[in-house]
Amino acid sequence: MIFMGPLRTEVHAASWFTALGEPLTDGDRADAQAYADVAEVVGIRSWPEAEAFLKSPVSLAWWDREEALRKTLLSRAEALHPERALWTSLTELTTETGDLVHGKAATAAARAGNAAAASIHVAAGAAAQAVYQLAVARLAGETASLFESKFRLFAAGRWPLGVMGSKLVLF
Amino acid sequence: MTDIVVKTVEELKDAPEEYREAVSKLVISHAINELYGAQVFDEPAIAYAPTPYAKWLTCRVAMEEYGHHVRFKQLGVQMGLPEERMIPGKGKKPLSIFEFPLKTWEEFVAIKLLADLAEILQVEDLLHCTFHPLRNLARATMPEERFHAQFGEDFSAELVKTPEGKARLQAAVNEYWPYLPKFFGGSKSKNNEIFRKWKIKQRTNDEMREDFIKRATEVSAKYGLTLPEIREAA
Repeated sequence: MIFMGPLRTEVHAASWFTALGEPLTDGDRADAQAYADVAEVVGIRSWPEAEAFLKSPVSLAWWDREEALRKTLLSRAEALHPERALWTSLTELTTETGDLVHGKAATAAARAGNAAAASIHVAAGAAAQAVYQLAVARLAGETASLFESKFRLFAAGRWPLGVMGSKLVLF
Repeated sequence: MTDIVVKTVEELKDAPEEYREAVSKLVISHAINELYGAQVFDEPAIAYAPTPYAKWLTCRVAMEEYGHHVRFKQLGVQMGLPEERMIPGKGKKPLSIFEFPLKTWEEFVAIKLLADLAEILQVEDLLHCTFHPLRNLARATMPEERFHAQFGEDFSAELVKTPEGKARLQAAVNEYWPYLPKFFGGSKSKNNEIFRKWKIKQRTNDEMREDFIKRATEVSAKYGLTLPEIREAA
């Protein structure tokens, strides 16, 4: 196993999904710019609005860029750590995180009162993926990747939903 | 039938050897198959999912499947089983369905619709298991397995809205269905006999297979899908 204590602490301290739908702050915008390098940040105010956006046939170029970066970082991490230890650490961190953020997403959805049940799983998948991406980056020795900024948005209670043209859509 | 109830991993040490071996085989089998499922189907499916909503939902499903592997492996470790025995490639042969790498989103939807129904039946059979740590693990796993099967239903409902989508889904069902009834093991399985003797499991492989075929036929029909005839006896 690889020691991932600091990230575990950050995961537990994060304000998962507590600011969904709230007006955007300067801090949110700064993290969003650092994450996506876009001209504009658009706020989404409700779960149904978020669901409609996520189900729409938007461009997935941003998703593919993140996947390409994750794969590059994973190759670097594999060169730095024993395969079994790396794999076990990532699996156990993601499992632990998944259970935590699922509960947080369920709480946020219950408070809002208008989220589809499956959207709780979607939110948990997004948040746990962000933690996994950040873990891969740090295990690769990368401390300034866009996955740091992405995690900060989640840690501040937000959920970045994706990039549409020159806009980042933030819930 | 032999009456025994084992409430903790600690108590398992005092159980008959045949009982301990039977429980170990089940834990190893579940740990390996959950991991195979996550690696061969769930994780690759993220790339095929058509929208961010479907991608993150698939992420969550993959994480839950990996989580099932982690939980079964943790139980195995508590029981004193070497981790190597609960990881693929270290001895136990995978189920044949895992030998076919995922190629399309429709294949993944068909697998969630039907293969996860088979998984539900397997977990259901452990809900009254006399080894309570395994029974409790089955109870923790069951809501997630049900959600995965519902995922299959929800996306099947989406796909069959168009003739093209329905045809692609039916083709995927045709491809994977013949392998699924084998999931339940042989008709004269010695292992199953021992599982039932100790009430670790409740039903014969044939009873479970028959129930699975009935339920799979019903759920497929809900979406206008048919199951191809299985020529080979399982």
